[in-house]
Amino acid sequence: MSQLLEIKGLRAGVEEKELLHGVNLSVGAGETHVLMGPNGAGKSTLGSVIMGSPEYEVTSGSIFFEGEDITEESADKRAKRGLFLSFQNPVEISGISLSEFLRNALEQITGKHMKLWDFKKKLKAAMEILGMDSAYADRDLNAGFSGGEKKKAEILQLLILEPKLAILDETDSGLDVDAVKTVSAGIEEYRKRTGGTLIVITHNTKILEALNVDKTHILAAGKVVTEGDGTLVEDVLENGFERYINGGK
Amino acid sequence: MKEKTQVEDIDRSLYDFRYEEDESNYLGSGITAEIIREISEEKNDTEWMREFRLRSMEIYNRTPMVEWGPSIEGLDVDNIVTYIRTKSRMSNDWEEVPEDVKDTFEKLGIPQAERESLAGVGAQYDSELVYHNVRKEVAESGVVYTDLESAMHDERYAEMIRSHFMKLVPPTDHKFAALHGAVWSGGSFVYVPRGVKLEIPLQSYFRLNARGAGQFEHTLIILEEDSYLHFIEGCSAPKYYEAGLHAGCVELYVGKNATLRYSTIENWSKNMYNLNTKRALVDEGGKIEWVSGSFGSHVSYLYPMSILNGRGARAEFTGITFAGEGQNLDTGAKIVHNAPDTSSYMNTKSISKSGGISTFRSAVTVNEKAVGSKSAVSCESLMLDRISRSDTIPVMDIRTDKADVGHEARIGRISDETVFYLMSRGLSEEEAKAMIVRGFADNVSKELPLEYAVEMNNLIGLEMKGSIG
Amino acid sequence: MEKVILNKLPVATFGWLNVNGAERDIESFGTGEEVFTELTGTAGSPAEAEISGGRQRFLINAKNGAEKKAIIYISGDEGATLDIEVKAQAGSRVKLVEVFEHSGAVLNEVKADIGEGAGFELVQLYIGGKDIVSGTDAKLTGRNAEFTADIGYLLEGKEKLDINLVADHRGKKSSSEINVRGVLGDEAEKVFRGTIDFKNGAVGAKGAENEEVLLMDEKVRNKTVPLILCAEEDVEGSHGASIGRIDEGQVFYMESRGIPREKIYELMARAKIAQVAAKIGHEATEQRIAGLIGGGEESE
Repeated sequence: MSQLLEIKGLRAGVEEKELLHGVNLSVGAGETHVLMGPNGAGKSTLGSVIMGSPEYEVTSGSIFFEGEDITEESADKRAKRGLFLSFQNPVEISGISLSEFLRNALEQITGKHMKLWDFKKKLKAAMEILGMDSAYADRDLNAGFSGGEKKKAEILQLLILEPKLAILDETDSGLDVDAVKTVSAGIEEYRKRTGGTLIVITHNTKILEALNVDKTHILAAGKVVTEGDGTLVEDVLENGFERYINGGK
Repeated sequence: MKEKTQVEDIDRSLYDFRYEEDESNYLGSGITAEIIREISEEKNDTEWMREFRLRSMEIYNRTPMVEWGPSIEGLDVDNIVTYIRTKSRMSNDWEEVPEDVKDTFEKLGIPQAERESLAGVGAQYDSELVYHNVRKEVAESGVVYTDLESAMHDERYAEMIRSHFMKLVPPTDHKFAALHGAVWSGGSFVYVPRGVKLEIPLQSYFRLNARGAGQFEHTLIILEEDSYLHFIEGCSAPKYYEAGLHAGCVELYVGKNATLRYSTIENWSKNMYNLNTKRALVDEGGKIEWVSGSFGSHVSYLYPMSILNGRGARAEFTGITFAGEGQNLDTGAKIVHNAPDTSSYMNTKSISKSGGISTFRSAVTVNEKAVGSKSAVSCESLMLDRISRSDTIPVMDIRTDKADVGHEARIGRISDETVFYLMSRGLSEEEAKAMIVRGFADNVSKELPLEYAVEMNNLIGLEMKGSIG
Repeated sequence: MEKVILNKLPVATFGWLNVNGAERDIESFGTGEEVFTELTGTAGSPAEAEISGGRQRFLINAKNGAEKKAIIYISGDEGATLDIEVKAQAGSRVKLVEVFEHSGAVLNEVKADIGEGAGFELVQLYIGGKDIVSGTDAKLTGRNAEFTADIGYLLEGKEKLDINLVADHRGKKSSSEINVRGVLGDEAEKVFRGTIDFKNGAVGAKGAENEEVLLMDEKVRNKTVPLILCAEEDVEGSHGASIGRIDEGQVFYMESRGIPREKIYELMARAKIAQVAAKIGHEATEQRIAGLIGGGEESE
C-alpha cells in the first residue's frame, strides 16, 4: 500500500536562505511518527511546509499526499484533503468567535451545511473532553487565550475537523503537567475515533506516553539524519542528539 | 508644596560669540531683479543660472505663503540681506582663511574634527564657502567634494549640475524654494562614483555671522550605483535681535543599491527662521538614512522628504526636536512610496519646555504602483511643563491594498513614579529628571555623530542643574 | 451649486494631501424644512428614529444623573442632513447609536457637551453610503467627563466616507477613547481625521485613539489623519493606526483549517463590523446589522 504522506528530496527556505536541504520522509496511514532534533533543525519549518505556509518557498522536491502531488497547493486545499497542523503559536483573530470559525472550517472541509444546534452539540462534547469552559466557544479566536488555552483550542479543532494526518508542532511545550494530560487525552480520543495518522514534533516523552510510536525521525540542520522505531525517542532523551548528528555526517 | 524641576534651554553661549561685519560687503536687502543680477555678476553665473535666478524670483513674487504651520510674521524678507560678499576667495589651505573667520571655526571645533574623524570638510561663512578640503586618498577614489559654484564652471560637472540642480525641489515647490532659487549662494557639491564606499564622513558647516542676513546654501549630492556616503551638516549662528533667515536647499540623488546617511545638527540662534527644504530621490535597492537634530532657531519648518522611486528602495528617518522658550519648531518628514516593495521607517522624539512649541508633522503616501510596500512611524513627545505645547499631525494616504502601514504616537510627561523610583536609589531629583530626558532621547542621540551626541547629553545634564525650585 | 469646506482639520497641514477639509456641494445633502425631534429614550428603552432624507435636527438632553439612549438609522438614496446636539449634564450617561444603511449623500454632525462625571458613548456604523460626511465635536467640559467612540465602516463600490472627530479635553481628568475599525473594498474612499485636543487646564486627562483599516482591493483609497494637540503637561495621549491587508499569518492559519481565501476576506470584514456592533447593547439593532452584513450565527 502506498504511503499516506511521502516527501521526496524537499528543499525549502526563506528568500536566499535554504532551511531544508533535501528531506525525505514517508508516513503510512494510521501510524504515529515522532520528529525530534535540536533547536533550529528545521522541524517546525518542515511542519509548516507540509501544510503549505507561504512563508517558505519550496525550491525542489515534492510532497505527496495519498499519492497525489500537493507541493504547489494552497493550505485550504491541503486541509480539505485531510491535513492538519497544530500551530506552535496559534494566531489571534479578533471579531471571529472560535465557534463561528470552526463551523465555517468544518463546512468548508466537509462541503456540507451543518445545523447550528448539531454543531454546538458536537463542539460542547469535544470541549468537555478537553476540560474547556464552554464560554470559550463564543470568545474571539485565540484572542487573549493563555498559552495552555491556545493549545487546547488547537486540539479542539483537531477533534472537530478529524483530519487524516495531524502534525502536532510542540503542542506540549509550555504546558504544565495537568495540561499535558488533558491535551494527550484529546489526541488519544482523535486516534481512537478516526485511527488518524500523527506526526508529533516534541522535546519530551510526556505527550507520547499514551501513544504507540511507530517511527522516530531525527532532523538536524535541515536533513533527516537518523530514523528508528519508538525506542529511539528514549535513547535520544538519555544520550542527546550528538551521536546521531555526527554519525549522520 | 515642592516646585517642579525646570529643564533649562540648551546652553548656547558656545555659539553666540560673533564678529562685526563690514557692512560695505552687503549687497542690499530684499529681492529685486537688480540685486539678483548683482549676485549673478558677483558669482560669475553661467547664462542658464542667471535666467534661472530671475525666473525663480518671478515665481517667488506670485507664490502665496503656505496656509499652515507656525507664524512667520516676524520675518520681513524685504529686509533680509540676501548676499554678503566674502573677504577672501575660497581656500583649501586653512592658513589662508581670514583670521576672524578662522577663529570662529576654531571655536566651533571644525578643524580639529577634520583632523580626527572626517574625510573632508567644507565651511561656509555667511554667503560663501571659505574653506573646502578633502583628504588626498578620498579625492583619488574619484569622490568630488567642492563648492557648487566652482563645480558649475568645471566642464566635468557642469552638465551634471545643470540636469540636477533644483529638479528635485523646483522653485515652484513653495515660496521659500523660489526665494532659494533666486538668491542661493554657497553650499556643496558631492559626487561619489560607482562602487566607492566612503568609510569616514564628509562634513559641511554653515555659519551665519552677519546681522539680519539670510543664508541660502545649496547642497547637491549624487551617489552612483553601489556607493556609500555619510554626510554631516552642522549649522549655527550668533544671537541678534533682528530676524535672520535660513532657506537652504538639499537635493540628494541616491543611485541603485547606494546608501546615503545624512546627519544634521541644526543649532541656529533663536532669532533665526529656518525654512529649509530637503529631498532625496532613491533608486532601486538604494537607501536614505536621515538623522536630524533640531535644537535652535525661532521658527523651523523642516520635513526632509524621501521619494522611493525604485523597487526595494528604503528610507529611515530618526529625528529629535527640542523646543525651549520662544521657539516654535515644526518638524517631521515626508515619505512617498512610488515603487514596489519599498519600505520606510520613521522614529521621532520631541521635547517641549518653557513655553516652547514643538510640532511633529508627517506625510506617508503609498501610491498605486507601490505594491508590497511597508511603512512604520513612531513618534513620542514629552511635555516638561504646562506652559509649553506639543502637537502631532501625521497623515497617511494609502492608494493600494498591497501595503502595510503602521503608526503609533504617544505624548506624556515625566512620571512622578519614575522620578521617585530613581530618587529612592539615591539620585537627586534633577539627576533623575536629566536621566529620564536623556533616556527619552537615547535612541535618537545614538544615531547622531558621536561628538554631537555627547554634546547633546551634556547639555541636557548641565542645564537641569540648579533648576529645582 | 454652493461648494463649502466641511470637516475642517483643527490644525491645517500640507495642502497637497487634500486632508484639511472636505469640499462638497451643500445642495447634495438633505434640503427643505428642518424637522426637530427631541430624543428622550432611556437605556432600557432607547428612542429610535428612521431617517431617509431631509433636514433633521435632534436633541438629546440628559439632565443631571439621567441615562439616555437613542438609535438612529439612516437609509435611502435621498440626501439627508442630520444635526445632533447632545447635552450630557453632570453625572448623566448618554449613548447615541447611528447606523448608516447604504445611505445616499449624508451630512451628519454631532455636537456634544459632556459635563462633570458625565459619559457620552457614540457608536457609528457605516454599512455603505454614497457620500457621507460625518463630523463629531465632543467637548469634555466637566471634571471626569468621559467620551468613547466606536466606529465601524464597510465600504464598497465607489462609496465615500469622510469623518472628522474631535475629542476636546477641557475638564480635569477627562478621558476619551476612540476605536475605529473599517474595511474598504472595490474603489471605496475614506478619510478619517481623529483629533485628541488637550487644552491647557485639562490636568490628568487621558486620550487614546486607534484605527484599524483592512484593505481588500487594489483601487481603494485610504487617508488616516490622527492628531494629538497638547497644551497641558499632566496628560497621557496615544494614537495608533494600522492599515493594510489581512495579516498573512492569519490567512495561513485559517487556510490551514480549510477556509479558502475569499471566504477568509468575507469573515474578516464581517468580524470588523461585528466588533463594533457588539458595543450597541441592543439586541434588535445588532440583529438588524447582522442581517445587513450577512452571516453571523443565525438563530435556529
